[in-house]
Amino acid sequence: MPKGWRSTTLIPVITLLAFAVLPHLYNNQFLLFNMMMYMALAQGLNIIYGYTGYLPFGYVGFFGAGAYGGALAITFLHWSPYLAVLAGGGAAVLLGMILIPLFRLSGAYFSIASLAAAEALYYVVANPGLEPLTQGPYGISLPQVYDPNGAYWTMLAILLFSLIISGVIRRSRFGLALSAIRESPLSASMSGVNVVKLRSISWLLSALIAGLAGAAFGWYISVFYPETVFGLGIGVFTIVFVLFGGIGTVLGPMIGTLILYGVYNYIGISTPEYFQLAYGLLIMILVLFLPNGLVSLARKRGLNVA
Amino acid sequence: MLRKTLARMTLGTAALAFSLGAWASSPSTIKIGTLYAGSGNFAQASTRQYDGLKFWAKQINAEGGLFVKAYGKRIPVQLVAYNDQSSTTLAASLYNRLITQDQVNILVADYGSVLTSVAIPLALEHHIVLFDETGTSGKFFKPEDKNRYIVLTGLPTSSQWPKVLANFLHTVGSKRIAILYAANDWSGSQAETLKTSLKALGANVVFYESVPNSTSSYSTILHRIAASKPEVVAEFGYSNNDIAFLQNYESSGLYFPMVFVPNPALHYEVVRKAVGDQAIRHVFSYVAPPLIRYNKEVNYGPTLDAFEAAYAKSGGKNVDLSTVAGYNTGLIVQKTLATSATFTQEAMRNAVDTFSGKIFTLDGLFQVNHEGAQTGESLPVGQVLPTPHGLQLLPVFPLKSAVAKYVYPTPGK
Amino acid sequence: MSLLEYAVLAGIFYGLYFALVGVGLNLIFGVMRIINLAHGDFLILGAYGAFYVFHLFGWNPLWAIPIELVVFFGLSLPLYYLLVPRLQKSGDPEMLSFILFFGLSQVIEALAVFAFGNDQRSIPASVFGGSPVTIAGQVYPASWVVSAAVGMAGITLIYLYLYHTRIGRATRAIMTERSEAVVTGISVHRVSAVAFGIGIATAALAGIFSPFMIGAIAPSLGMGITVTSFTIIVIGSLGNPLGTVLGGLLYGEALMLMQTFLTSWAEMFPYALLILVLLVKPTGLLGKAVRSA
Repeated sequence: MPKGWRSTTLIPVITLLAFAVLPHLYNNQFLLFNMMMYMALAQGLNIIYGYTGYLPFGYVGFFGAGAYGGALAITFLHWSPYLAVLAGGGAAVLLGMILIPLFRLSGAYFSIASLAAAEALYYVVANPGLEPLTQGPYGISLPQVYDPNGAYWTMLAILLFSLIISGVIRRSRFGLALSAIRESPLSASMSGVNVVKLRSISWLLSALIAGLAGAAFGWYISVFYPETVFGLGIGVFTIVFVLFGGIGTVLGPMIGTLILYGVYNYIGISTPEYFQLAYGLLIMILVLFLPNGLVSLARKRGLNVA
Repeated sequence: MLRKTLARMTLGTAALAFSLGAWASSPSTIKIGTLYAGSGNFAQASTRQYDGLKFWAKQINAEGGLFVKAYGKRIPVQLVAYNDQSSTTLAASLYNRLITQDQVNILVADYGSVLTSVAIPLALEHHIVLFDETGTSGKFFKPEDKNRYIVLTGLPTSSQWPKVLANFLHTVGSKRIAILYAANDWSGSQAETLKTSLKALGANVVFYESVPNSTSSYSTILHRIAASKPEVVAEFGYSNNDIAFLQNYESSGLYFPMVFVPNPALHYEVVRKAVGDQAIRHVFSYVAPPLIRYNKEVNYGPTLDAFEAAYAKSGGKNVDLSTVAGYNTGLIVQKTLATSATFTQEAMRNAVDTFSGKIFTLDGLFQVNHEGAQTGESLPVGQVLPTPHGLQLLPVFPLKSAVAKYVYPTPGK
Repeated sequence: MSLLEYAVLAGIFYGLYFALVGVGLNLIFGVMRIINLAHGDFLILGAYGAFYVFHLFGWNPLWAIPIELVVFFGLSLPLYYLLVPRLQKSGDPEMLSFILFFGLSQVIEALAVFAFGNDQRSIPASVFGGSPVTIAGQVYPASWVVSAAVGMAGITLIYLYLYHTRIGRATRAIMTERSEAVVTGISVHRVSAVAFGIGIATAALAGIFSPFMIGAIAPSLGMGITVTSFTIIVIGSLGNPLGTVLGGLLYGEALMLMQTFLTSWAEMFPYALLILVLLVKPTGLLGKAVRSA
């Protein structure tokens, strides 16, 4: 097995073992669940941003679409929650397809347009006019399928899926082509790379992961309001974790989430009254003194980071 | 790290076995777990509610602890509280921590329906009673869910709130009513009930629209409402909605004979300071404690007067409904443990049923139905009227609880 | 038809004010390529300034204008030198600024909670005289007219600065081509620091009127205002202050017309409009030629 592929396999295996064992050592399953969720979202964002350079500020839109897609499949079609999670992924992919024209935009325009799309979707879902379908502002409640353990293992599966996709992309010709697009879309397309197709595929994969994660989250908490699953905070956190860990790698977003989300929870427990202040200061200090992410630190020491 | 965790687990298991095995050996403290929002959208009310609960815990500990009938003695209270920053995602994980790691004996929810919602499935899963302070969403208490692990300690479910208001509008003979509401659970269910009740009473709802929660500019909407020529405009929203609405109404040059908004009932002083006396004069709202002053009816805990005096003495200020609700939750917990013969969650929940309808606290009659929803108190209608102590929100309807005569139609500006 | 006329004129007032809300964010992005996620938080700080000027001293909030312009401009210069040069040494300053200013936004919000508490605050609308203003047969709150006028004045001053002063021309040079500007001997940091200061000071200026235009103020409102500001400046084109006026007006009109005719969809529509505008013109209404990617 070539060296690169070894780490591509190793990361999912270690993750699987860790999250399979941790619930037996650590009681707060919800925290572990959230950790996996942010790790999966970080990988999903990494697939579109890290490999193509397009940063969707409104990434949470896919998450919300997934949560509602899953909930509607359970409520109206009476699907099993496992199938409903897939339906959530499907809803997000559908949204992703609708948003493909946004790739005509570049840089910050793309970022803000995706944010606008997520906000617009939030207002649609929360509109009382759609109460028969989405329950509008009254929120979703799914007591009939409540099963935290089932949702936990589903989220672990989603995380593994995202890691494998991300790893495969990084090592494959597909990934090489994507990074060529990131460096220069023009020269990539001149050298025969189908820019539009590849970018769309990674966009939809990225949407799929967020949608699956959103649906599993909705299932896990089983009562939620539109602002719970479309909260901008989820998207901002994910972006911060990915950027901090280092983009374009599989390990970077994992470590970034592990550290920053871990510290976040630690501060929340240890100093609840200075929670926000301490976390904000920590983030600023990290950026100013570690501007290229954790991966840069490792690279500086000559480590090859997967 | 691993060893430490393992060690802690062994300890935890041992403690559990111990507490199960030995009835007589009581815990050294009663752990009460709760969350508060130190920042974010719900912080204003949540921090006050938490202050009320903290004050109760302090008082109880000063008396030597909480009397626990199951152990026949007083045991000190330990409040375990985390800051969820108004985030439901964070709140869910913190509730779970309170239950699984801190292993609290009593679980108390954060303020409002949104931050309470995520605790409900957790309480059900872990078989721990959730003392719900102000999560008044009707969907938490559906009979078909048969959820016994929730008790609403404060006000009734939000859909009950406007029932007296509907009767009031009928009594004063208002025929054309405009209803505007912000798209959230709490506001929407009030608007819905008001519309249904008014229609049943034969009134004409001439305007019924929702606006997004984030709406902060009402001038244009007010002109649209004016076009429907209403006698009464009822706006249901969070306090930021109400404040913007009242300010825009004041500066719009429009006139309606009656304007109703709900938030002065919850935090009258905040709303009054924000919009100014001129804008709040003659506005109608609900009235709830401390604006309704329950004193002579109270048969459990301090009267409202006594509470306010003690609270002020301890350095607390700005008593409003949230403070009372937080303190009242403490009282309900206190009564529960003083009643429950054994120290199990099931026994505690059954104990609540035994005193439901029998105790009257500074927050009013405590009465819950089988699902744990509050049915004791209805919310009278009040109006902001001039008094020797400045403008105050006073109960005006129903007449038996009125302390002032309502002014309707309100004088023009 | 009077409802339509009312909404159209209201949209203009509202839009001119929101142009002021967005313009500082646009200036900072245009010059430094910084995504200032703390923009809305600076605005809220400005709002608290006006609140205290009114409630502590009983002064008209208009007195907060000179005070806040000086204070916020003065404080943002050291902030610039503390944050920005370091940031720009990194590999991808634009994206990194996202995290850095997210952190700053959290810090400001937390400090605001400690300093001002979590209560909703506002200033009575009657401070600008009790009676509303009649324009073209329609009646508007006096505070709207004042806010719109200040908005227009603020943007005019920024326009004059950019097009009729030496340092302004240097600022525009950096906006168009940073590397060339460096070569021609422009002191990039000095020019950028001033632009940063102006950007923050205009946010605070807009904040003074937010109690009348954006409703009650609370420490947690910053992020929402930042998002709205982004919508406005992107509609009108990034890096173009005049575009921001256009963006603000479109935003105001969209909101007011929707509030009049389809109330429950009002807040959603500006976002839909943004997407529509960008699909037709990918760099905003006043953007330069389309770069195809």
